[in-house]
Amino acid sequence: MTWLMRSLCVGALSLAASAPAFAAAGEHSLAALSMGALAETKARIETLAGNFAQAPGELRQLTEQTRKSMMSGTGVRGFTYLLILLLVGAAAEWLYWTYAYSPLRAIHATPVETPLQALRLGLRHLLLRVSGMLLFTFAAIGVSAAFSWPAGMHELVIALTLLLLSLRLSWVAVAIIVAPGRPQFKLVPVDPRRARWLAATVVVALSLLAFGQFVPAILERAAEARHAAGLLRFAAYAAATLILLVGAFTLFSRPSGPSGAAQMRLPIIPRSFLLALLVAAVFVAWVMSERVAAVTLIVAIVIALQLGLRDMVYFYWRGDGESGEAQGALPAIVLSLARFVVVLVGIGAAALALDTPLTALAESVSPWVRIGLRLLGVAVLALLAHGVWIAVRSVVDHRLAGIGPVDPHHTPDASSRLLTLLPLLRVTTAVVLMVMLVLSSLWALGIEITPLLAGAGVLGIALGFGAQALVRDVIAGIFFLAEDAFRVGEYVESGTNTKGTVERITLRSVALRHHNGPLHFVPYGSLGTVRNQSRDWVIDKFNLPLPIEVDSETIRKMIKKIGEDMKNDPELGGLLLEPLKGKLYRVDPSVKIFRCKFRSPPGKQFDLRASALKRIEAALKKLGLGFADGRQTVLMHPPAATPPA
Amino acid sequence: MQAATVVRNARLISGLVLMAFVTGHLANLSIGIHSLEAMEAWRAQLMDPWRSGVGQPLLLAAVCIHVAFGLYAISARRSMTLSRADVVQLVLGLLTPPLLLNHVVVTYMADQVTPDFDSAYGMLLAIYWKFSPGYAFQQLFVVVIVWIHAALGLYSWLVLKPVWRRVGGFVLPALFAVPILALIGFAEAGKEVLAKLASDPAWQAHITDNITSIVKVTSKMDALQAQILLTYGALLLLAAGVFAARMLRDRLTPVRIVYDGGACAQGRRGLSVLELSILNDVPHAHVCSGRGRCGTCRVQVDAGAQALSPANDIEQATLARVSEGKPVAAGVRLACQARVLGAGVEVTRLLPAYADASAARLPQDWLADDAAPARDPAP
Repeated sequence: MTWLMRSLCVGALSLAASAPAFAAAGEHSLAALSMGALAETKARIETLAGNFAQAPGELRQLTEQTRKSMMSGTGVRGFTYLLILLLVGAAAEWLYWTYAYSPLRAIHATPVETPLQALRLGLRHLLLRVSGMLLFTFAAIGVSAAFSWPAGMHELVIALTLLLLSLRLSWVAVAIIVAPGRPQFKLVPVDPRRARWLAATVVVALSLLAFGQFVPAILERAAEARHAAGLLRFAAYAAATLILLVGAFTLFSRPSGPSGAAQMRLPIIPRSFLLALLVAAVFVAWVMSERVAAVTLIVAIVIALQLGLRDMVYFYWRGDGESGEAQGALPAIVLSLARFVVVLVGIGAAALALDTPLTALAESVSPWVRIGLRLLGVAVLALLAHGVWIAVRSVVDHRLAGIGPVDPHHTPDASSRLLTLLPLLRVTTAVVLMVMLVLSSLWALGIEITPLLAGAGVLGIALGFGAQALVRDVIAGIFFLAEDAFRVGEYVESGTNTKGTVERITLRSVALRHHNGPLHFVPYGSLGTVRNQSRDWVIDKFNLPLPIEVDSETIRKMIKKIGEDMKNDPELGGLLLEPLKGKLYRVDPSVKIFRCKFRSPPGKQFDLRASALKRIEAALKKLGLGFADGRQTVLMHPPAATPPA
Repeated sequence: MQAATVVRNARLISGLVLMAFVTGHLANLSIGIHSLEAMEAWRAQLMDPWRSGVGQPLLLAAVCIHVAFGLYAISARRSMTLSRADVVQLVLGLLTPPLLLNHVVVTYMADQVTPDFDSAYGMLLAIYWKFSPGYAFQQLFVVVIVWIHAALGLYSWLVLKPVWRRVGGFVLPALFAVPILALIGFAEAGKEVLAKLASDPAWQAHITDNITSIVKVTSKMDALQAQILLTYGALLLLAAGVFAARMLRDRLTPVRIVYDGGACAQGRRGLSVLELSILNDVPHAHVCSGRGRCGTCRVQVDAGAQALSPANDIEQATLARVSEGKPVAAGVRLACQARVLGAGVEVTRLLPAYADASAARLPQDWLADDAAPARDPAP
């Protein structure tokens, strides 16, 4: 079941990932599509080459132009205003930090024991930092509206402020997540020795990417230096790619473990190689086409996250280093949810990046787009079903594992109800989920399921008559289980004279093991009155026939004494809920019948009775008595004595 | 008074004198928001005292003392454990002399070299906004740099004083209002000068004459500037060299200290306890970043007191201040002043690591009673 769910999920995921590609493909055939892509790539590469040729001249011109415009009253004015903006922003942030610095220091000074605690502190830290930055940005941008800027300068300044914000944001985010220098604060499992380098690599690469995103755009808009902008963008992205490649190979390679460790592991494709592959793929895609690059970037990030998500999630429950299956259901659920969220966010981002709102896509007539969207729907459904299944299964498994192995012929205890119900719940959930998933997937794929259901309805009536008994059994079973009539391991008698220990419970029937061996399969419908012999307590009564001559008071005391002895016996004492008592019950000709009784837990009465009889016999023997022997003494009266004549 | 106190007070007082001068100058600039004439008119009140027989030597002495003791402080450092604000202040302070020199030489020396030189605001603004805008960028930079350097210094000194609670509300906004207003004044006056240059040919001719007269002496002034810069560079190199030599020498003998809670730190011999804490990421309060002013870094020395350097007078004064009349408890030291010279030092941090400036202003609020347990470190 798990395997099925997982493969369904993976399949749906890969389909979902390809959905935007389908959507992008539009109405074209595959061959035309690849030709188009090739042509676009060729054009892009020619443009890039052209940039190399023309950019130097353009840059020279640009520098000259900038110098000329800056070395004038206008330039001085713009620069003055820029400094004022920075001062205003800094003032706002400084004011903020006079209050916020102590909480920040308190966060740093808090001793951290668990990763969850680190996560809480990290979020607070992030909030404090980001508030300061936002204050700076809002103050600076707000004040910038008050000045009469030289032409084109205002946009430039706002773009620069945003660039500054994004650089600081990425810096702070990386510093909080990786926590170089404070290993106990880290939010992801990284080797503390590599944390500094990892943080540096990511920050530099992100800065280069942000630079490539903002600065060439400014050049294009303000100075119309298209080639120089293109070259700058290429250089920034290439440098970022290079740094990430080097980082992937050096920082994600496996640390050399103890000798012989390599033998213990099965060889897999190293993570560093996969990451490098992703980075390279994104860059190649960017060289081919910007639209493709955006989608590839998102897909790459999604894949990279999926690769590391397991470690990241389990890090919060078992810390660093330890391996093996983690405890409890929560990590599995969180992992499943996290995978789901990552994919959904990725799909949303891809739709945004392609600039095609999903609603517009839905109205598109292209069959590819429709299929893509429907596959997307199926993927979402499969992921949801997978999440629910994981949640139910891991909760059930966890509880079952806590109870321990099942032995139906052992005394049932409080956990037997769970043992009865949990496996049933698991199977039922699986069946319901599968049916719902199949039906709703068919619906999502656009296959009309109403006639299907209607047909099933007609068939259902026919079947229903035939399967009346089946339905009765299932419904009756639900009530038996809900009312807790019996559990696995209990000895029950049904109204139909079948009796035995409950061994197995299914949807339709219960299996009873008779004490002589045969296994009865009783459908719930014909179970009738259930007489549960294993609940709470039983009272056992037995008769004791003794000779008529015995003194009943002596015997009563003797039995009471035996009852007390049994109560004090270390083995039997705990089993006696009420001690053995006996009293004269009936007097038959030549026999006094004493009736004894005691109360014990279910199933223990037979042993107890045997033990009691044994002791009674011994005690009687000591008194010189025996059980009534049943022999009748016939007294022959001699004829009346006649005097001898 | 020991040398440490003399150096610290001399730097502080000379810095305050310089800041007073800069504040007056910037205030004068901000009058440019109103008009160029008002700027010129207020110059007599705001700037001229510094050209008087008392003001001029005072200013010159303050410059020399501040630069010299600043360089001395670099050479006396034992490590580069600086807070971010300290790094900013240090770098900006080092940048100031080379950037500012040109302005000082032009305004101060020019009318001595060329007696009929007109160093009025109108003249200089005309140079900045019209004839050589390159200088304007330099000046704008210097305004921001000098002011941030000064503001950081003033703030970190004043925020520890009890008086901050009364004046802080005015001083903090003023620290930002002054340069912002000055820059706005500079921009407004610049616009006015450009308009005047375009509309008033006579004034334009006067300015052009002035500039030609100053261009003649440029070589002289350049030589002077080069000389001063060379001296400054040499002194700076010397200070850096002394610092590097000390670092290299101390590197050979590592020491190790143990804190309350089992944390430990190690580093070069001769570092202060606080520097060891910072280098090893051990949380340790230090509001004044090791200047011995705030007393938040103070520790109880549990073992190895003889392996620490003896308390200097800065430390004694601060400890006496924070104990507020009561005798200083035995074994209490300032972690920023107590340097570790040997092995076996164990200390207990007396204040939580998140202590802020209020711990320096109102020490009794942050003092745990002897009987009561120390404050819970978790917030």
